[in-house]
Amino acid sequence: MFAIDQYAYSNRLRHVHPGEKFAFALVTMLICLAASSPAAPLAVLLVMSGAVLLLAGIPWRFYLKLLTLPLSFLIIGVLTVAVSISFAPSPAPMFGLTLGKITIGFTAAGWHAAALLLVKSLGAVSCLYFLSLTTPVVEIVSLLRRLYVPALFVELMGLIYRFIFVIMETAEKMYIAQSSRWGYASVRTAYTSLGLLAANLFGKSYHRSQALFIGLQSRCYSGELHVLENPRTVSRVNLLLIAAADLFLAALALYTGGGHFGRLHS
Amino acid sequence: MGDFILEADRLEFSYPDGTRALRGLSVRIPRGARVAVLGSNGAGKTTLFLHFNGILRPTGGRVRFDGRDVRYDHRSLMQLRRQVGIVFQDPDSQLFSASVFQEISFGPMNLGLPREEVRRRVEAAMRSTEITELKDKPTHLLSYGQKKRVSIADILAMEPSVVICDEPTAWLDPRHAEQVMELFTRINAAGTTVILSTHDVDTAYSWADRVLVMMHGEVIGEGVPEEIFRDGELLARADLARPRLVQTWLALQEKGWLPAGGAMPRTWGELFALIPHRQSPGAEKPAQVYTLERGKPSGGAACGVGLG
Repeated sequence: MFAIDQYAYSNRLRHVHPGEKFAFALVTMLICLAASSPAAPLAVLLVMSGAVLLLAGIPWRFYLKLLTLPLSFLIIGVLTVAVSISFAPSPAPMFGLTLGKITIGFTAAGWHAAALLLVKSLGAVSCLYFLSLTTPVVEIVSLLRRLYVPALFVELMGLIYRFIFVIMETAEKMYIAQSSRWGYASVRTAYTSLGLLAANLFGKSYHRSQALFIGLQSRCYSGELHVLENPRTVSRVNLLLIAAADLFLAALALYTGGGHFGRLHS
Repeated sequence: MGDFILEADRLEFSYPDGTRALRGLSVRIPRGARVAVLGSNGAGKTTLFLHFNGILRPTGGRVRFDGRDVRYDHRSLMQLRRQVGIVFQDPDSQLFSASVFQEISFGPMNLGLPREEVRRRVEAAMRSTEITELKDKPTHLLSYGQKKRVSIADILAMEPSVVICDEPTAWLDPRHAEQVMELFTRINAAGTTVILSTHDVDTAYSWADRVLVMMHGEVIGEGVPEEIFRDGELLARADLARPRLVQTWLALQEKGWLPAGGAMPRTWGELFALIPHRQSPGAEKPAQVYTLERGKPSGGAACGVGLG
């Protein structure tokens, strides 16, 4: 999972203003979710994948693997939508199985809903991947701070992000120390070792939080983590490109089925 | 009067679990000094440091900064902490931000300085610790030595008049340890008082101009390095080894290669300069061949004779 973090710092869109990337991902995702036919979500998936692979330069193998991560959840979810069980005498399924009074099968409507759900989800996921693969968490946190998200939330987010790595490293060291003393030789010892590791990790994290607090206090901490942001310049060209792409996608969504916004007018 | 920047006067401190970490400790830190604090683990070094910037409040005795008693109201503490900065031993416990630039800006931002001044200080601190190229790197992708430098820059950016560093060379390889010590020499040359704790007597001897030896929450020895490291009894009591340089110098004196007495050399270069060239009898040039005498009368007699 940490590969995402590394790509966020090393991709080709790293130095693009985080606000631009954030806006692009967010607006595109909204269009994708609002669409009511598969055309726009498919286009979103294409545009975002293109941005991730061609603009940001993320290896396609890695990106494909990432896209398959939510797929297992999606397929289960989509199947439950696609398959309909009916007690009515003849529900006119596309094809199905009738066992006495119960008909299990696919209806055209169910099939459509499922397909739409699938592409919408994948489209939205691709938007999130675009953001997380091109923008380091630090910059997202800074952006949220500038968008007046409450300080408590933003600070917690920053601290959690920082200490995920510290805790992972501590856990890894403990794991190595345990396994070099046969801690994971059998299932039984593995359970014991894992339990000890979790307990110790909690203790260590607690001590670390105390040490961190002392360290912050030493630097005149008085309740808020003030830091200086590096000013970034917004690129007009990028803004225009984003606007053009999103206008196109929005137009496609409206043209191919309206979506929620379209339906308001009809 | 104003010769001492930090003073501890009969300091007493017990942790909540009852450990008496400081037992009537008194010490004075001269302004602009380079102080090395020596002592085994649990001697109370870190506890003393935490008193110097008001994180811990003594249960007895008092701390003075710049001749005035430290007070423990919010304003006075903030004033004290902008003057006395502590670099902690474990950088992973000190660095809270995933961005190097933001991390270093935290201290000066808290001082309420204008943004441009904060930026100037952060950049100056990054330059003097030689981490400017790490500015856009996330903290968790740095090496241990780099994190250590960031944690030092954290403090430098606040431009304190005293920098305290808890075991700056622990876990560093010799080259990085040397770089860090050079950094502290530069900081000190700019007028900042530097206090370091260390287990490395060699570093303490060659770097410090004042040495404190602590044991069981007390200062059992204080003085210039030459004095402290000549005092064999004190060193034995504190479980400290003599610096190799001093050992060598004493051994050379004992075996008659150097005259007894004289100023203790502070660097290997100084010691080497003291060692005279060996002259063969009647010759002006140094002898070409050396044979050590180990009590054997023959063989050794060949030493240098006939060359010349």
